[in-house]
Amino acid sequence: MSEHLQSNVSQDLVWEICRPNNSYLVKRKSGGGSQFSRDPLNLMNKHSRKYAGFVNNKAVGIQPREDGGITLTTKKHKHLNRPAANKNEVSWSGNKSGPKIYKGIVNYTAKQGYRADLRQEAVARASAIRQSQRPKKEDPEPKIRGSKAKKAEEKAT
Amino acid sequence: MAAAKKHVKIVKKRTKRFNRHQSDTYKCVDANWRKPKGIDNRVRRRFKGQAAMPSIGYGSNKKTRHLMPSGHKAFVVHNPRDVDLLLMHNKTFAAEISHAVSSRKRVDIVAKAKMLGVKVTNAKARVTTEP
Repeated sequence: MSEHLQSNVSQDLVWEICRPNNSYLVKRKSGGGSQFSRDPLNLMNKHSRKYAGFVNNKAVGIQPREDGGITLTTKKHKHLNRPAANKNEVSWSGNKSGPKIYKGIVNYTAKQGYRADLRQEAVARASAIRQSQRPKKEDPEPKIRGSKAKKAEEKAT
Repeated sequence: MAAAKKHVKIVKKRTKRFNRHQSDTYKCVDANWRKPKGIDNRVRRRFKGQAAMPSIGYGSNKKTRHLMPSGHKAFVVHNPRDVDLLLMHNKTFAAEISHAVSSRKRVDIVAKAKMLGVKVTNAKARVTTEP
């Protein structure tokens, strides 16, 4: 780790301190107990050391844009103690084709040796977000059955 | 709405309740399970024909534990922001709207879940009305 990368506190220590509770953590007892994270730099929304964006000096975040695009956020090497100032942002509009966006994400991160372990998750998240931005089909009207159907028929005639 | 990931068949080894010993003979003895502790107790000593006691062997397969019949696990949500957490987990988790959420806010949650492809277990509660 080069000089400017060093923070006073190690990432492992931060994780050990923040693991039991932090503001991003969402704990539920339902479903046998689950832990999720609201961290914008967490690709899987999973509370774990690997995905915790606020702990790792290098982290990748992918969020939807208001207008239907996608924003990629990474952490800068500088200003480790200034969370607001150490973000790199790249974004794509929704009109761009999917594979182009995914390629861009990989080029900006994994290809440069920046968290290559998150390549698959990053692409998967971008894909999931794009899926969610597509217009959805209306649910079909429920068919009336049984005695209610008979009544409706009588009314019609 | 995403279907759940493939999983081992869910087997419930026992679906009947375990009733407390002698709860059938005395009305003051509640059916809620209490382990018999007496030195001569025949249920505790597992004599033939006696009621079965709960034991770890009745537990579900770890792979299917906490799964609903649909194959999802439930995750209680209170607002659309909570549904966002399930974006990458819509094949393993289903959203369950908390009981105290009003019908107006339920509509928002259900709409959000639809966008993300998240199953909502109680999507019709409070939202639909009797004609």
